[in-house]
Amino acid sequence: MSDELLVVRAQLGERAALAELVARWRVPVWTYVRRMLDAERADDVAQEVWLAVVRGLPRLREPGRFAPWLFTIARRSVTDRLRAEYAEYAVREAAEPEPPAAEDPVEAMADAVADRADLVDALAALPVPEREILVLFYLEDLPVEECAQICQIPAGTVKSRLNRARRLLREHLEERGHRS
Amino acid sequence: MTVEEPRLSPRELIDHLEPVLSRRRRVRAVAALLAGLLGTAFVAALWLTEPGPLPGRTRLAFALFLVFCLAWAAYGGWLLTRRVPLFATEKVIAAWIALAASLVTTAVMVTIAAQRGTGVLPVLAAGAAIVAVALTLAVRAHARRAALLRRKRELGGGEEA
Repeated sequence: MSDELLVVRAQLGERAALAELVARWRVPVWTYVRRMLDAERADDVAQEVWLAVVRGLPRLREPGRFAPWLFTIARRSVTDRLRAEYAEYAVREAAEPEPPAAEDPVEAMADAVADRADLVDALAALPVPEREILVLFYLEDLPVEECAQICQIPAGTVKSRLNRARRLLREHLEERGHRS
Repeated sequence: MTVEEPRLSPRELIDHLEPVLSRRRRVRAVAALLAGLLGTAFVAALWLTEPGPLPGRTRLAFALFLVFCLAWAAYGGWLLTRRVPLFATEKVIAAWIALAASLVTTAVMVTIAAQRGTGVLPVLAAGAAIVAVALTLAVRAHARRAALLRRKRELGGGEEA
């Protein structure tokens, strides 16, 4: 059953559909939150995200775009916890504009990280915005346009951040003795 | 890498969402909003149709009553918009309850105004406005539910809801 059908049924008030939606997206939401925050806060924030999702679900106008809507809510909760890191990044970004996206991020990522487990380990070392883009694009398999919508940045910025994230990841993995 | 998993199972997560999904809280929210709004209309109608000038204390009592009813309406409105928003089918039911309650309140207000012999028309107009709002809500709730049911059928989700 598609997500859209589950969302429509849940919006009608079918509890079983809502339960299935929660079961289906529980791990992806938690994965995003956990990759962005420490283990102590991840469970509480994931739960807070689901409360907001259930409260907002009756007002969701495009059931077909559930995933980006869900991650927008998750990102809001995460951003609240990481305000200091985002502010620091904004200052750094203003001083040093992002380079234009030169490569196709999908190919580049496959090239940089052969193993998903390596990626998850290395993610924690990245600055918050790069980590966020990597998690959404690579771990959650969301298209660039949806990442852009969730993070409220242009698609071009998503691509350039992905490229920078890939470079940082590669540097980090090389430091640890891995070779991309 | 250690394999990490969410602490809560799907069942536990749903249990934690219970406060938002609780039917009792939804009924309470709708009841608070309706009782608050219709109570406000009723007390205002009583006050305005008083035949003679009222002593200060009675006016104060009316004013306090109005504030009390408005506070309940605000609480119900806050619950329904922020805490326990209704799903489409629940909205249809709530809208019909609102329409029935509005009709009863209007009938009572008009009867009291007629018995007192003080301006039935303004009370009737106010009641009609309340009923019109409830009717609009009911029509919108039905339209929204019908649209969702239609989409459900298009997506192959059958008829039942």
